[in-house]
Amino acid sequence: MTIRSQLLKGILDGCVLAVIEKEPVYGYELSRKLQDIGLADVSEGTIYPVLLRLQKNKLIIGEMKPSGSGPNRKYYSLTAAGKEALTVISEEWNQLSIPINALLLKGAISNDSK
Amino acid sequence: MTASELIAQNNLKRDLLTEENEKYYSNLLIYIRTKLSLSEQQSEEVLMEMLDHLLEGQQEGKTARDIFGNDPKGYADEIISHLPEEEKRNSFKFVSQVAVNLLGWFLVIRSIAILVIGQMQEVDSSVFIIPSIIILVLIALLVRIGVKVIFSLIHKSLFDEKSNDKKMMVRAGLFGSGGFLIVIVASYFMRDFGPSFEFPWIASLGVGAVLLLISWIMKNYELKEKK
Repeated sequence: MTIRSQLLKGILDGCVLAVIEKEPVYGYELSRKLQDIGLADVSEGTIYPVLLRLQKNKLIIGEMKPSGSGPNRKYYSLTAAGKEALTVISEEWNQLSIPINALLLKGAISNDSK
Repeated sequence: MTASELIAQNNLKRDLLTEENEKYYSNLLIYIRTKLSLSEQQSEEVLMEMLDHLLEGQQEGKTARDIFGNDPKGYADEIISHLPEEEKRNSFKFVSQVAVNLLGWFLVIRSIAILVIGQMQEVDSSVFIIPSIIILVLIALLVRIGVKVIFSLIHKSLFDEKSNDKKMMVRAGLFGSGGFLIVIVASYFMRDFGPSFEFPWIASLGVGAVLLLISWIMKNYELKEKK
């Protein structure tokens, strides 16, 4: 496993919650949106265990609805607990990412200046 | 959508997969379905999502391996670990429906057997209550164990490259015939004792038919309830 995918694994729940918060999505849509954002490392199948876990913890809820074209799809939306969890994860991420950015980006800059 | 509707739709949609993708997906499907303790509704929902995903991916030229990874067993285990358990109430309803169905068939076949053998010789159609209950419990127990053993055989050998189907079928067959033998031996040596009553073929047929009807209603009522 690459370092990038290891880092991603810890924060993937938060990413999935953030995508779902914008609008209800179904599985395939979700994986495409994650890829469009630039998270190409998330292999598509990875989202299903994540979706199941989030459902089990009642952070999201899935509902079968007819889609615009063709078959019924299971659309996921955030529950109240899910919104709360997303807020917490965002705050935690900010607290981590700002010092880590300062630390690690500095390294990158000093490398450049060599 | 109910689990049975999802299964019916799944069967239709699987035909649209390429041969390679179908094989990969079917293994995942059997592996998850043979894990009997899981919620059927939730299992079928995630299986349908995965199938829809695979079908969309296939149109863009992706394979099941691209989407679900190179370790199907590890992936399926991960799915299983996040699926909720079946509610006790549902399992109980399912098991009792199957039991009523089996008992119905048993009585119908018994009535036919008495009728056919009765043409050739005198048949004693009395039923001894206690020995009959013992035999029925024995059959129920063996069916219960049999389903568990055979499903876990399939579950374990599915992604095992070394296991071959023949060996597995022989083991399942041995278990089936062994169980059958136990029932025959037990009923042969069981002495008739305790209270008994006359249970002629026509009554057996009637009761059997009613039980089959009840089991049919149980099955269909369950469908309506979930909608």
